[in-house]
Amino acid sequence: MNLFRSEEHIRNWLGSRAPGATLTAAKLCDLAHAWWSDRLSPEWTPHSREHNQGLLDGLGLTGEFWRLS
Amino acid sequence: MYETALSLRNRTYAMFVELGRAPTADELAARAGVSRPEVVALWRGLHDAHALVLDPSGELRMANPFSAVPTAYRVHAAGRWWYANCAWDAFGICAALGADGRIETSCPDCGEALTLEVRDQRPEDSEAMFHCLVPASRWWEDIVYT
Repeated sequence: MNLFRSEEHIRNWLGSRAPGATLTAAKLCDLAHAWWSDRLSPEWTPHSREHNQGLLDGLGLTGEFWRLS
Repeated sequence: MYETALSLRNRTYAMFVELGRAPTADELAARAGVSRPEVVALWRGLHDAHALVLDPSGELRMANPFSAVPTAYRVHAAGRWWYANCAWDAFGICAALGADGRIETSCPDCGEALTLEVRDQRPEDSEAMFHCLVPASRWWEDIVYT
């Protein structure tokens, strides 16, 4: 899960490998806040798979690639 | 995850932020007033539940989004430098701390330095793009690689 200078650099880096998912830095930041912002709360409890899938869905990260196990 | 494990997990995270690094099992045992074997056993359960990640020796490797070891993602936030496990976690450190931050890494393609400032929960305008190679269903098959 890496940051690249641009989409062109992602294509170069992938070479012949199948691409995964590409997001803007702004979308990644939104995802990070949804996923991690409660991590230091003294009241933190584990997220269920359904909860986490809902976070992804809520950001439009849908489809097979984003389907949690 | 039962209450004792959850309490130890929350204490682990609090100590990580207090120290600015991962606590050792010995340090956490002393702080929590339990034995080292108890800490190690509870950490192992938390590892199995994907609530944190241990290294082969049984010490902390990740208290996601924080990394216990140096990585390619350095984050300056809340007055300290931290290591993140990946780009997602780099933003996650700012989110978890509720702080602005500065993310420093390098492009895996060309090696050029990449720096992103995070202000008010938003990254500065940047052409930087995030790529996730591994599908979500396989993230935990090898979380260090992911």
